[in-house]
Amino acid sequence: MSCCNGSRRCLSTNFLTQQDGHCDAIPSNIEHILQEYCEKQQTSSSIQMLMKTGRGEMLGKTYKSEAFMGRLGHQLATNRILIQFASFLSQEIPIRLAHRIRGLDQVPILRDMHAVQQVKAIYIRSFLEMIDFPPILNSNDEQQFAHMLGDLYTKHSGVLVQMAKGAYELREGIRSGDINVSKDVDDDFSLESLIDCHRCLDRFYMSRIGIRVLAGQYLAMRQEPQNNYIGMICQKTSPSAVVREAAVNVTKLCIERYGRAPEVQLIGRLDLTFPYIPTYLHYIVLELLKNALRATCEKFELSSSLPPVVVVIADGTDNEDVVIKITDEGGGIPRSQIEKIWSYLYTTAGSNLQKAVFSGKDHSDMSPMAGLGYGLPISRSYARYFGGDIDLMSMDGHGTDVFVYLKRLGDTKEPIPV
Amino acid sequence: MNTIIRNWSRQSTPGFRFIYAKTHPSISPSARRCFSSEPPLIITKSEQQLIFDQAKQSQTSVSLQALMRTGRGEYLHKTFAEEEREKHAATQLVLIQVASFLRRELPIRLAHRIQDLEAVPILRDMESVIAVRDLYIKSFLEIMSFDNKIQTAEQEAAFALMLENIYERHSKVLVQMARGAYEFRKAVREEKGPGLELEEEIHHFLDRFYLCRIGIRVLIGQYLALRQPPVENYVGIICSKTSPYEIVKRAIDDSAFMCTRKYGDAPDVIISGSLNLTFPYAPTHLHYIMLELLKNSMRATVEWHGIDSDFPDIKVVIADGAENEDVVIKVSDEGGGIPRSNTKKIWSYLFTTADPSVQEGMVGTPQGIDHGRDAPLAGLGYGLPISRSYARYFGGDLSIMSMEGYGTDAFVYLARLGNTKEPLPI
Repeated sequence: MSCCNGSRRCLSTNFLTQQDGHCDAIPSNIEHILQEYCEKQQTSSSIQMLMKTGRGEMLGKTYKSEAFMGRLGHQLATNRILIQFASFLSQEIPIRLAHRIRGLDQVPILRDMHAVQQVKAIYIRSFLEMIDFPPILNSNDEQQFAHMLGDLYTKHSGVLVQMAKGAYELREGIRSGDINVSKDVDDDFSLESLIDCHRCLDRFYMSRIGIRVLAGQYLAMRQEPQNNYIGMICQKTSPSAVVREAAVNVTKLCIERYGRAPEVQLIGRLDLTFPYIPTYLHYIVLELLKNALRATCEKFELSSSLPPVVVVIADGTDNEDVVIKITDEGGGIPRSQIEKIWSYLYTTAGSNLQKAVFSGKDHSDMSPMAGLGYGLPISRSYARYFGGDIDLMSMDGHGTDVFVYLKRLGDTKEPIPV
Repeated sequence: MNTIIRNWSRQSTPGFRFIYAKTHPSISPSARRCFSSEPPLIITKSEQQLIFDQAKQSQTSVSLQALMRTGRGEYLHKTFAEEEREKHAATQLVLIQVASFLRRELPIRLAHRIQDLEAVPILRDMESVIAVRDLYIKSFLEIMSFDNKIQTAEQEAAFALMLENIYERHSKVLVQMARGAYEFRKAVREEKGPGLELEEEIHHFLDRFYLCRIGIRVLIGQYLALRQPPVENYVGIICSKTSPYEIVKRAIDDSAFMCTRKYGDAPDVIISGSLNLTFPYAPTHLHYIMLELLKNSMRATVEWHGIDSDFPDIKVVIADGAENEDVVIKVSDEGGGIPRSNTKKIWSYLFTTADPSVQEGMVGTPQGIDHGRDAPLAGLGYGLPISRSYARYFGGDLSIMSMEGYGTDAFVYLARLGNTKEPLPI
């Protein structure tokens, strides 16, 4: 059922005033619009596409890249690029939000968790706000849109932790017996057998990455241009530089915690650069190095020396992938436990630690996600987002090798979950 | 029209036993024109029924531990009453027990394979595959015609002799099936290559087939080995103190020999980790796996860096903690790696990096050498999938991770406790 803008605005304000951060069932008046958007197809993008758009190559007119690269001061991209991008987002993001809301609605058990309800409420609010927005016809509209989107982006930054809280509530509920699970729960860690929950979280996070990449890219393009950057994409992302930076951060953390840290050795193609989004690569490498250094320190607690963590960067001339391997001798993981480490529902962190952590933001150097078990699966989602992957091979009693595959040419489309 | 063949199993001269029938359903026109060493086999309706009945029964999975315990006589009480056990030597009773089990179990396993061989599309019409099927039927009928119950030492000895012949006869099946896969690729290429679905189905079939073959050969091999004079630490083909370090060293010698023979030189291999570790395993299996991996690493290293350069070492790490489930062996090389999109292909039975002319040569030889020093360095392209089947057979696994432009890491997981049952496909 389509409504005119007027009555839609009415709906959203009603929703916005009614809800107090809790959302049980979706009010039926909103349900119709949601359904309408759910039935639309999501449009996936690729790094190449984002770059081309950013350069104005999709405008169908000739556009000189030098002009883009810094001569125009704050007017970084022509208005038309921004308007084009903004229009696309104003259509696309609501569709993606609708799909996620539906997803959150359908996942058994998890959907009843308070934290998850809150997330759903945030999503519905954002959805309504966006569909409320009038068509973007000129620079002024575009500026308003950017403002709204920026607000949304900030408002949603806590969602990652919120969902982790939902998983925590789920685990606690099962442990205390409040929640009945149909499968046998004979040990703490059979929870990851809740495949539906895991799949929902996977789709949710993958989609969230997509929305934030699109929004982030758009917002970044409105900023002062940096050399080699198109929005968040750096055309000359250097894996070795990212690794070095992450190593510095993790080493600091490690020394604070254990009094010392193993050396991080970097070998291979140190000169390599390729187009990628450095913040995500940084997150992935940070996460993996944290695991590697921690495992090493804990295994060699009583000995005087620590074996190094070795990072290899590989790439041939025509290769599909840039591969980064991180090797540690931190004692490894038994083969039977490997599946669990990829689960969003599994963590070795104790209840108290988890409780204490639910206040921070998405990520920072002191990632609050430490110990909540999210680092690996989220890292893998980031890698997969643009056609790459992360694989982990462990040798029980010896150490672990993690392989990060990054698609080099960046023309893989986003893997948008249905 | 269907001629009945009696007692052919007792005859030893090939070529005279079987009568060709024009209308046998599973013989393709091309097969009729072939000049293989034996004309196609016909079986009677009652024999077909026999196969059908046996195939309906479930296969019994055995674990490495069970093999060892049986071999040591720890399960004798399950078959024999106390008085019997006091009357005869334990070893003889063990042999009778195992022989009885095999008399029951082998026909079931063979029957499952025969049915599978008859069901796989297109491949089943290949000349070599038909020959393999016939071989299986022949062995099946031979075993079925043996006494139902084995109770005396004489019976058991005769049974062993029969199994020895069968074991020998079947030793070329690996190469024959490879020939079959080769014929399949040729046949299908003429029609612009197999579709993805067909390729997958053939791959799964071959995977099942080889895994089961390993199972059958382990069971028979184990039994025959038990009849030999005992070797210290061995129970049949299982050595309770298998040392990964010793096996890796031997595999390095063998692969270095092959590499040097082909290229004039070979890279060094450095072994580190738990060099003193021992655990119960079948040494021949482990040797096959390690030889395969080291062969690949050496070849890749030499070809990537060029024959005149300083090769980077290949590194082998043997890992094991005190309570671990697995013994893990990692083989790392800097041989340039494989692109991620090709990683699936290396496990395929239908893809090989071997030169087509080498392939032709290999499939041409009737002896066809399974493994060993005399096999070419890059043979039929079967080494990796077969190695993985060996690893999986006793509850382990084999994984290959590659870094394109740098090198490859292979991880061999071996179940330490030996209590995993054989992973028998249905």
